[in-house]
Amino acid sequence: MPELSRTLPSEDRLVLLPKNPGVLFAFWQFSASREEAFISSALGGEVELRLFHSEDKAQVSALKAAWKSGKAYLEVPAQGRSYTAALYALRSGEWEKLLESNPVSSPAAAGMAEERAYASLEFHKRVHL
Amino acid sequence: MSSRGSLMFVLHAHLPYVNHPADSSFLEENWFFEAVAETYVPIISLLERLASEGIRPGVALSISPTLGAMLENEELEEKMACYLGSRLELIAKELERAKDDPALLKTVKLYQKLYEDAAALMHKYSGDLITPLKSLQHAGQIEIITTAATHAVLPLLTRPEAVRAQLAVAAEDYFDRFNQKPSGFWLPECAYEPRLNSSLKLSGFAYTFAESHSVEFSGQDASGGVHAPYRTSNDVGLFVRDAASSREVWSAQFGYPGDPAYREFYRDFGYDGEYEYLRPYFGSDGARRPLGLKYHRITGAGTDLAAKQYYDPDAAQARVEAHAADFLERRIKQADDFYAERGTRPLIVSCYDAELFGHWWFEGPAFLETVIRKIRADRLPLQFVTPSEYLNSCQEPREITPGSSSWGENGYFDPWVNETNDFIYHAVYAATDKMIETANRFRNQDLPGLSLRALNQAARETLLAQSSDWAFLLYIGSHAQYAKSRLEDHVANAIKLLGDVIEKKVDETALNKLEQRNSLFPRLDFRIFASVSKF
Repeated sequence: MPELSRTLPSEDRLVLLPKNPGVLFAFWQFSASREEAFISSALGGEVELRLFHSEDKAQVSALKAAWKSGKAYLEVPAQGRSYTAALYALRSGEWEKLLESNPVSSPAAAGMAEERAYASLEFHKRVHL
Repeated sequence: MSSRGSLMFVLHAHLPYVNHPADSSFLEENWFFEAVAETYVPIISLLERLASEGIRPGVALSISPTLGAMLENEELEEKMACYLGSRLELIAKELERAKDDPALLKTVKLYQKLYEDAAALMHKYSGDLITPLKSLQHAGQIEIITTAATHAVLPLLTRPEAVRAQLAVAAEDYFDRFNQKPSGFWLPECAYEPRLNSSLKLSGFAYTFAESHSVEFSGQDASGGVHAPYRTSNDVGLFVRDAASSREVWSAQFGYPGDPAYREFYRDFGYDGEYEYLRPYFGSDGARRPLGLKYHRITGAGTDLAAKQYYDPDAAQARVEAHAADFLERRIKQADDFYAERGTRPLIVSCYDAELFGHWWFEGPAFLETVIRKIRADRLPLQFVTPSEYLNSCQEPREITPGSSSWGENGYFDPWVNETNDFIYHAVYAATDKMIETANRFRNQDLPGLSLRALNQAARETLLAQSSDWAFLLYIGSHAQYAKSRLEDHVANAIKLLGDVIEKKVDETALNKLEQRNSLFPRLDFRIFASVSKF
């Protein structure tokens, strides 16, 4: 998998982006102080990425996540609804919310027919393969 | 003959900002030179030709701020002149080499005319192609619109400050370039989401465009289908791209550009010719590169590149005539079918990347000109309209909130968010968040000149990091290393400049270099990224 060549500043960040009607993309990173908390075991090493409906805060999924930084593609149960993600870690046996993402709406499936498809892909073929 | 429908052509011209003043033959700068010679000059020429004959083109042209900055960059203009000179020098040699090969000679002469015309137009306007565009707009021949400052896919910018900066900087850039406020906004990659409505309104845009599937399946009353304008809840006009007319022109597989008589894009003399003969026309690295001289035709779907036959300009022109006639016939039928079903005259909105015409589809400018001419010459019941004209004359559009969508593969955001490129968002958001945080910190402070320059340059670098092009190039695996380097450079530049301002240790020499290289948006004020803007 391609990755960045340079190190970024250590900051707390959890971002949720739309990908398509069925999938959202989440990526996250923890600050140095949080990293220290993990290393010192103040925070348990187990991290969960949870997805919620924004409107009623109902949890729709949870998955194990990496504590330092990471990414995940999250399937959504209902298209066209707003979601928020959050990262939780164990502190003294209790789940503690560490980071919360922006809300994002998953696109509503529009049944894009095959013949509609395109636009920029063919244009960009002009950069020589 | 009275009109049975309206046709709106929207050509979106965009290139990522590529400017490497320290290098005389930087490969990726050729994107710009090729597009100027093969697309922008032919389109400007045909628009001027039509206007001079009293045939009003009436098309809308979106010029991205990054492209506009490149078109006004004097160093790039000088390099452009060298590029054209180099091509004409090679063509002179080719005329000699092809003198006993009539089929090849005909095509070489075609290229001779293409590059001579480009050189002549550049000379006529002292290298500045914005001037004729401005004149055409001023004369009411075309309508020029803009797009996001660095062509960011706006639904992927979750910080409202970042969206506002992309729109506000674009509006200011347009005003500086065209001496008037912009009316229309082309959403990069036609990527829409409802959250953008308020940003569009706040930045003063009167209308934008969305994909047909975002309206057809919006679950709301879209009784005009895709052939009527709409408006958002805050009164931003909304035009809907027509899928059928787009497909006929866009698709290499199903559309006109795949015709066997048309020029083959991928077989280039830069890879075919004898190396030593061509060596002077390659870059300083000596590696083969496309030279724009493509002597073959598509020949047939799936035909191996080596088996392609020579291009015949006359045969291609005959197909242009046939395709233009077919295109218009289909639009008339589309209009008649719509009228029969709904009792109103449709608006057919056909949106294309401008670079399709000429660069990718070599015969595209001739097709465009033929379509416009035929409507007049054959007295066809269609009329070209620009977006503002249509909005000013149509009944109050129905309110709608389309769904999130784009014109990219599969209709949403997959091309810009996938396993090949998702790593970039860590970096894009690192720069964006830092920029917003620092803008908030310094927005009300009187800053020394050097700090102010550094913050403004950091804002430029942040905007450049947000460009859609880096994710897309990574996705298609073309110039991927360049895309990754550019993204990482802009992010690193922004973060370093912001850190240097905070620590009061701005390196003026390094800042000078960045200002020279990434010199777009001269009036950019970093405060545009502040959470509560002064603007």
